[in-house]
Amino acid sequence: MGRYFFSAVFLRVINKTKIFGTAFAAVAALGQADAAKSDAAGMAFFEKNIRPVLANNCYQCHSAEARNLKGELFLDSKQGMLNGGESGPVIVPGKPAESRLLQAIRRDGKLKMPPRNKLSGRVADNFAKWIRMGAPDPRVANGGNPVKSKIDLEAGRKFWSFIPPDTPDTPEVADNTWPRGEIDRFVLAKLEANNLSPVRDATRHELIRRTYFDLIGLPPSPGQVAAFLSDTSVNAFEKVVDELLRSPHFGEHWGRHWLDVARYSESNGMERNFTYPHAWRYRDYVIDSFNDDKSFRRFVREQVAGDLLGRDKREPTDEELVATGFLALGPKPLNQGNKVLFKLDVVDEQIDVTTRAFLGLTVSCARCHDHKFDPIPTRDYYAMAGIFRSTDALYGTVNGQGNRQASDLHAIAGNEADRVEKTRKHDNSLYRLNGRLLIMEEEMREYREKGSNATGNERTRMRTLTRDIRDARANIKSLEKKSPDADYAMGVRDGRIGDARVLVRGEIRNQGQTVKRGFPQVMDGVKAYPISNRSSGRLQLANWLTQPDNPLTSRVMANRIWHHLFGEGIVRTMDNFGATGERPTHPGLLDYLAVRFVEHDWSVKSMIREMVLSRTYQLSSDTTEANAAADPSNRFLWRMNHKRLGAEALRDAMLATSGRLDRQPAGGSVVTKLGNVNVGRAQRQLSQMQRNTSQRSVYLPILRNALPEMMRLFDTAEPSLIVGKRNETTVPTQALYLMNNPFVIGQAFNMAKRVMDTAEGRPDGIRLAYELAFARAATDDEVSRAHEFLNSVAEEKDRPGQWTVLCQALLASAEFRYID
Amino acid sequence: MDSALPGAAGQRGIPLYRLTSQQRLAKRGLAPDKNRTMNNWNNSTCGNHRYLLSRRDMLSGLSAGFGYMAFAGISTAQAAASTPLASRRPHFLPKAKRVIFCCMRGGPSHVDTFDYKPALARDEGKQLPKFRNRELMPSPWEFKQHGQGGLRISGLFPRLAEHADDLCLLNGMHSSVPAHPQSFLQLHTGSFQFVRPSMGAWVLYGLGTENQNLPGFISLCPPDNVGGAQNYGSAFLPAFYQGTKIGQFNQNIRTASLRNLDNQQVSGKLQRKQLNFVQSLNRDLLDRKKQSSQIEGVIESYELAFRMQSAVPELMEIGDESQATLENYGIGNRATENFGRQCLMARRFAEAGVRFIEVAHGNWDQHRNLNSALTRNCAATDQPLAALLRDLKERGLLDETLVVWGGEFGRTPHIKQNDGRDHNSTGFSFWMAGGGVKGGMTYGATDEHGVAAVENRMHFHDLHATILHLLGLDHEALTYKYAGRDFRLTDVHGNVAHDIIA
Repeated sequence: MGRYFFSAVFLRVINKTKIFGTAFAAVAALGQADAAKSDAAGMAFFEKNIRPVLANNCYQCHSAEARNLKGELFLDSKQGMLNGGESGPVIVPGKPAESRLLQAIRRDGKLKMPPRNKLSGRVADNFAKWIRMGAPDPRVANGGNPVKSKIDLEAGRKFWSFIPPDTPDTPEVADNTWPRGEIDRFVLAKLEANNLSPVRDATRHELIRRTYFDLIGLPPSPGQVAAFLSDTSVNAFEKVVDELLRSPHFGEHWGRHWLDVARYSESNGMERNFTYPHAWRYRDYVIDSFNDDKSFRRFVREQVAGDLLGRDKREPTDEELVATGFLALGPKPLNQGNKVLFKLDVVDEQIDVTTRAFLGLTVSCARCHDHKFDPIPTRDYYAMAGIFRSTDALYGTVNGQGNRQASDLHAIAGNEADRVEKTRKHDNSLYRLNGRLLIMEEEMREYREKGSNATGNERTRMRTLTRDIRDARANIKSLEKKSPDADYAMGVRDGRIGDARVLVRGEIRNQGQTVKRGFPQVMDGVKAYPISNRSSGRLQLANWLTQPDNPLTSRVMANRIWHHLFGEGIVRTMDNFGATGERPTHPGLLDYLAVRFVEHDWSVKSMIREMVLSRTYQLSSDTTEANAAADPSNRFLWRMNHKRLGAEALRDAMLATSGRLDRQPAGGSVVTKLGNVNVGRAQRQLSQMQRNTSQRSVYLPILRNALPEMMRLFDTAEPSLIVGKRNETTVPTQALYLMNNPFVIGQAFNMAKRVMDTAEGRPDGIRLAYELAFARAATDDEVSRAHEFLNSVAEEKDRPGQWTVLCQALLASAEFRYID
Repeated sequence: MDSALPGAAGQRGIPLYRLTSQQRLAKRGLAPDKNRTMNNWNNSTCGNHRYLLSRRDMLSGLSAGFGYMAFAGISTAQAAASTPLASRRPHFLPKAKRVIFCCMRGGPSHVDTFDYKPALARDEGKQLPKFRNRELMPSPWEFKQHGQGGLRISGLFPRLAEHADDLCLLNGMHSSVPAHPQSFLQLHTGSFQFVRPSMGAWVLYGLGTENQNLPGFISLCPPDNVGGAQNYGSAFLPAFYQGTKIGQFNQNIRTASLRNLDNQQVSGKLQRKQLNFVQSLNRDLLDRKKQSSQIEGVIESYELAFRMQSAVPELMEIGDESQATLENYGIGNRATENFGRQCLMARRFAEAGVRFIEVAHGNWDQHRNLNSALTRNCAATDQPLAALLRDLKERGLLDETLVVWGGEFGRTPHIKQNDGRDHNSTGFSFWMAGGGVKGGMTYGATDEHGVAAVENRMHFHDLHATILHLLGLDHEALTYKYAGRDFRLTDVHGNVAHDIIA
């Protein structure tokens, strides 16, 4: 059984691209001299005799305005005619006999155009004459001309983020007692230089709640809090940190951070929103990678080129294939009929996600013109475009109404036990279907024999049978085609290899020079391997991205980690390290972290550990007036930022507090159960399937334009965008959700039950409720006020009702939603 | 404590039905802020590049955050002045303060409604060179001239035609793609290739809202397909600019409501007690933190939510409208009931200060049975639309409310099957009314058969530019920085149709 699951459609596409590719080469042979040949008379001839014919007979299918472009051929520009379509150039200036356009008009060959009405002999003679004249054509853009760029790369290389990080000297500080490690020295030096002093350290209560949420996205239980408080050993906190880093919930929380950047979603979004039933494998891959503390270098390499890492010496592993889902998950204009335009948009999306996620660079700005702010000329965009145009995205979806661009998927092996089970199931269903078909065919034969003697009932039955037999045959056919032991995953693989041409102003008809596949020139100091004409160049891209001297990859990731722990990045524009992004507040610290990251084999867990064990991380979130006046937005880190729980953590915390959290990994997705469908039609089914789920939020179905309500309201990442930093909004619709939504009320009820079951007497119950919700003890004042509150609702509510109302108030409070 | 809280008890007394509508709204705290009259705007901010302030930035400018202010009993209008949704000055003197967009999903046939094409009758049955095997079909409906401007409107819209002198027909519309999903998205967001904020979100971002007790952008019964939530989404704009959806497409609007407004578990009185308790917890935290715009934001959001909880259902409950008004909108008549209710709600939301309201009707995709389906659609919408214009006018709101009508494209003048027309994005009709637009005017034209726009052509980008302009916003200056560059609704396109502005 082959690795890949080829479909007829796919092979057809490959063939098309092959021919299209050769067309490029043929055009390159044509000089620009042809354009010069055209004189005024030639132009007049064209205007009088050629243009009207083309416009009236050809543009409908062969122009930018064509509803369905046929044969990838544009006849509405000079360049388009010279480029030709999928079967090669259509005119050879000066040589009517070799011009296929003329053959088609004269209906000499296989190709007859226009398809319905034959053009008159006079018209054909005009075309012959025109081609003989050298095909003068004023409809010319600057296609074929070299693309000029005004970008000064040398100056660009001097921009801070393109200079490779170098281990900076640890700065001197006045107060040598404060810092615990290098990070603290960098921070304190800045504070001292700005006459700021750090606030007090966080209390143990504050610290443990913060660390639990930051590392695993869940609150500590009262028992875990108590254990930490009573642990008097010097390394008590270190032990907690290490335990959390080992927790399987770590990957669920940090994996979700990466899924924001990877615009992870289980549907296409856009104008035709089809499900991606196999997307969840990528989600689980990400979670597992963070749990395994996979080297970030390998993590990047797998996502960009997992299918190629075996280098023809071995088959790619399932894990490597699933990783490439990163490049396939994006939104796509599936209703686009023109395959070339479609591919260009997919490629653009891949360039965007690759460069922003790993490099913090907005290379896709250079699709239509040189980057306006960063030293990225258009040709760099097309150098990368060549890599992705040589790559086929495998994202599935069903070909059907509204989807003209369905694709293949990776077939993966799955594990051995699954495979045996699946083979058995597959055989069984084939056996069963075949049996049913036989019986139905037999019955049908009987009715047929009766002919006109069949009764009315029998005729009705025959109609039903005809339909059922047809369906059964179709099912058997598709089942036979499917490999019994295959699982499927989204991803990419190499397709038709070739360099891309610059599209001037991004327009498909306006083709400029061919650009060799490669990487942004501004970073040509980074070691890069040559791209052979046998490979797309993704492997080389993966290597280039993860070279130790790549100035951006390590910095960008270190900054992302910092952002999630401290609430703000050292560079606050997470996905933009370019000129329009912000400058680092602590450039030395960022370089130190980037270098450390690479030295520790790109270990995310080590990086997190070092940051969390710094004294800076362990500051309280208190404010002092002097500091607030001098540095109101805490750019110099004189305190811990007051962070808010993300949508997932808020929901998970409610479930954990109520005791209802299902801590098991989901092992799949409900979207797989929905199958290949249009999301709009599956909403009701989906909400029914989701009604009582208490799994962690990372496992909720993430469908574009149909996010789970709570996720959408509380600012989860918009899955169509690359989100390094989520929005943080505070709006009444969130308050309404917390006040009235049945999920919140349900969790309050469960929490109330837990409190009533565990605690004896009201004061103890109140104390327990506060501990569960805030991981801290209630003050006496708080206990008495809660007591009063319970009394005040007693006239309307019985005991469980009173406790529910109180617990809901705690879940809805700001303290529950924020991390000190 | 209670009496100091806006929206709390103490608002009852005089029965609401004894008051005028403005008084009623004021009573409920629903009236728009009347201090900001049109005359207050001036040109001083014209062309200024405006940035979005973060909540934190704005609050840091105040000596005390609004959490304190609300509890000190200071009016919420003042407190609200610092929220991201606070009413903001446009770039220049606006003609309109708000928009009601009547979105006709499916692509209404322009040659049967607002674009009179006598040549179709002359050339009936003939084929155009570009469209072989398809015969031109004249409109089965008669066009008559209406109003002082002599607008030609088909017999499908008799009631609306009575308002001809308020209508500005835009007959030179065109868009990029003759496919529903793309064109519908482009109509709403300007783009069908990329995920971009919707028109309403941009407007809300530009102007804020006049009533803090209500969502600033409401989409009534929007379709789930053809781009779904993207059509009222905020994409990279902060989420508070996204549209609030009420009801499902083609759902009976009577049964629709804003989500999470109801709580069956507790009485209103008990919920207020519970909310007071939540707020006391929040204030404790604020005291401990000394200063936190985030927590102030939470405190404020609860008060707004509590007020919204009563404001929205009251606005959606139309029992206080007179019988005559209900009849005007066709409520009570099966054919017009649903869209009539939508239009009436749109008027109520407009009156209460909602910035952008979209109402939807469909399906207008008549590939076959043009005669019956188009007749039915027009019958369902004609009277409500006419009533909306009349009602707005009677209340003095039409001048400051821009009403826009149209769909994702128009239809071909020729037919493939009997009695059906196909998609046509090269030429079709919209109309506008009120909001500073000239009435009794036809702007733009298609060719003699209605295939393509040839005169005063208006793309969706131009439509967007014009709508923003009428609201006092320069479409080139209304930008938002995302992913390293400035984005705008009209991207690199858009021309304002100055000729239609009164």
